[in-house]
Amino acid sequence: MRRRVGGLETEYGLVCVRSDGTRALEPEQAARELFRPVVAMGRSSNVFLRNAARLYLDVGSHPEYASAECDDWWDLVAQDRAGDRIFADLAAQANRRLAEDGQDARIHLFKNNVDSEGNAFGSHENYLVDRRGQFTRLPQYLLPFLITRQIVTGAGGVVGPRQGEDGRAEGPGRFVFSRRSDHMWEAVSSATTRTRPIINTRDEPHGDPSRYRRLHVIVGDSTLSEVSTHLRFATTDLVLRVIESGRTLPELTLHDDIAAIRAVARDLSGSDPLPLSAGGTTTALEIQQRWHELATTVAEEHEHEVLESWQKALDAVRTGDRSWAATHLDWAIKERLFSQVVQRHGIGLDDPAVQRLELAYHDIDPAHSIFQTLQRRGLAPQVLTEERIEAARTVAPATTRAHLRGQVVTAAQEHGVDHVVDWTTLRLTRPGAMPVQVLDPFATSLPEVDSLLAEIRAIDVTGTSEAAPPA
Amino acid sequence: MSQQSINAPGPGEDEPVGEDAATGGQTFASAQAADDLLDEIDEVLESNAESFVRSFVQKGGQ
Repeated sequence: MRRRVGGLETEYGLVCVRSDGTRALEPEQAARELFRPVVAMGRSSNVFLRNAARLYLDVGSHPEYASAECDDWWDLVAQDRAGDRIFADLAAQANRRLAEDGQDARIHLFKNNVDSEGNAFGSHENYLVDRRGQFTRLPQYLLPFLITRQIVTGAGGVVGPRQGEDGRAEGPGRFVFSRRSDHMWEAVSSATTRTRPIINTRDEPHGDPSRYRRLHVIVGDSTLSEVSTHLRFATTDLVLRVIESGRTLPELTLHDDIAAIRAVARDLSGSDPLPLSAGGTTTALEIQQRWHELATTVAEEHEHEVLESWQKALDAVRTGDRSWAATHLDWAIKERLFSQVVQRHGIGLDDPAVQRLELAYHDIDPAHSIFQTLQRRGLAPQVLTEERIEAARTVAPATTRAHLRGQVVTAAQEHGVDHVVDWTTLRLTRPGAMPVQVLDPFATSLPEVDSLLAEIRAIDVTGTSEAAPPA
Repeated sequence: MSQQSINAPGPGEDEPVGEDAATGGQTFASAQAADDLLDEIDEVLESNAESFVRSFVQKGGQ
């Protein structure tokens, strides 16, 4: 596909603590407090917003933000950052209410993927792919790329000391490219929570099922760096295009995907041998470099910057020179930060202070976010303008179906008209109202939606809108 | 910068002890900036690191 729609689902971690750090509210209560204004507005904790994204409460009391469909990866980053701000605002409102209520309680939301006991939650990427043709051979070629891309787009972190599967302790804490790899149990399957796979095969295209499938990648880390998030989507899109081009591809299938993903996380040199299923070995760097080369054959003019950043990331691993990576990629920013803190305080990587630091790195509250502290000092990237991120909070991407959903939600809210929408359907909640189906994810105008918008303006119950026609 | 392993933090080149005139003012400024940053971080982290970390336990998501 030359144009591809993608979306990002972010589950946030949630804790509500007293000023001494002990737990003030259980996660269920804290989530209820957080969602109070959402429920008041939409009578549900599952709503679509003016920017066409979905905001809801998922399994395990995880607040979740699913971005609208994007076909430009900087749009996607903007929509994702907008989601952080929307939830940061909800948390600030909840904290104000708790304070006014005289409670010693403060909610923190983390854009990360694991709690302090190792319970995991996700950052799920969705890519639209053609149903015909390549879907059956897609996982086979995509897996080696997904298993090794953590050396570029991993969030970094510390694992251990803990018991291995054989019961032996795995030694002191160590820095890894991604902690998510320890929560992956299968390469490809339809499960999401019990035995998490790298690629989830649930067949929900959210579009015309005769034409499309949705590729659901659940191996990724939540990334704070705009460069990391952009690279996650831009490089995966390029790899998908190489596979879709039908050309002969290198056979890089790994002997044991799950053993490999954990080994890659721990090998900061990217150079340890990984057994191939056909015999022989390769390395994480080799696999990434190979896909990078293939990507150059399909990349368009405007994608050269992606190829350049991808190469810089690989060079940082290969040479050990982190000067670019340590101010651009999450794992390397964290690696430098942790080593400075560990040195300053003479503590180990598994010290609670480092765990607290990691949570603060992922905290989305501007007043508590270490990532934003680094951004202000020019030690973490800030690619998108303030205006673009702010606009993304209320304006849907203009080049996909999200544009239609965004228009309907915006009009319905402005005119006080009850409505129900999902990824493919738009409907007013009135007797006899007909749902409008939008099965083409690339549709940006549709006569049925124009009629629906006219109907909303005609119904207007606010009595204040200039758009309401005279009775 | 040479390879920097977080497991074996040696003297990092970006944090010199400062007085060396040959390295010029810029490195000194960057060491100063690193110190400022770490001071700011220490403030955010406060003193309840351990109980805060222990409080963050949730059921798993997807």
